Amino acid sequence: MHDITGSFGDVLQRQLELASQNFALLKQHGVRAVNVMGAIGSGKTELILRMAEKLRERGLRVGAIAGDVAGDDDYQRFRAAGLPALQINTGDQCHLDAHQVGHALEEFPLGEVDVLFIENVGNLVCPADFPLGADVDLVVISVTEGDDMVRKHPKMFAQTDVVAINKVDLAAFVGVDPERIAADYRKVNPHGRVVFTAAKSGRGVEELLSALGF
Amino acid sequence: MHEYSLAQALLSGLQDYLRQHPIPGRVAKVHVRKGELLSLSEWALKEAWRILTEGTELSGSELVLESVPVRVRCPSCGYEGEARYLTEEGWHIAVPVLSCPRCGSPVEITEGRDLAIVGLTMTDPPAP
Repeated sequence: MHDITGSFGDVLQRQLELASQNFALLKQHGVRAVNVMGAIGSGKTELILRMAEKLRERGLRVGAIAGDVAGDDDYQRFRAAGLPALQINTGDQCHLDAHQVGHALEEFPLGEVDVLFIENVGNLVCPADFPLGADVDLVVISVTEGDDMVRKHPKMFAQTDVVAINKVDLAAFVGVDPERIAADYRKVNPHGRVVFTAAKSGRGVEELLSALGF
Repeated sequence: MHEYSLAQALLSGLQDYLRQHPIPGRVAKVHVRKGELLSLSEWALKEAWRILTEGTELSGSELVLESVPVRVRCPSCGYEGEARYLTEEGWHIAVPVLSCPRCGSPVEITEGRDLAIVGLTMTDPPAP
């Protein structure tokens, strides 16, 4: 037996390069992008729609990319709200990656938007490993998922800039203390921002926009 | 959950390399560095490797994983080194905290996102 050492290629380095290319393309068009992650049913789509309403009131043009394993339900909701939108079906892949988003950006009318929400596949594990080239990462958790979401997925939250704890109006009904989720997040990410939201009623949406830098 | 697609990417990369730079002998071990920021199961990566290499020239080779600790650089105080890890009872894993261990400012990641083949162990070819 003998050993050969060397560089045989870093498979994630390529993803980082593609993410930088996506970022450069977005900047070329003056677009600010948000990578929206979170579990299935946490309220990602509803929150995006509410944020889009507020941003449009401010005169900003908003678009959305919907990432799903299959189907186009979220895309249809974006279209119904009048947003330029595009669907990415990952075909069983558990996350969006920079390569797929790069192709989507080639097709997307970037000249028609100032803000782009990229809704990732509903999943709290895998998207963390794949930067897309967005300006800011947002994770949406809903209180109905329980108060242990950060402790169950700490690496995801350690790398996330902003967390929206959504459906806080339901917290009392499901016996969950949203402060406990926030405290766990602050432990793994002392620089992150936490916002309590209730997308359906619009609560916290302005604060969330401000945390995202809008 | 994405261990198969990443194992496939490692395999394709290595096969391309070996086509361009043929090495005598058989590959017995493939040494991989895996960053601790990644959410990848070692067991699943090894199992994916075993299944995906079946029927290829790498069939029977073992994936040997080396864990790469997260390293950070602090733009505020200039610290460069290992990140602080948070270990809480009941979490069962150590979580890298992306905050300067010296001054508490936000940091840049310099290592810990790697998934790269860095070496091969070859069986010696039969003597001529």
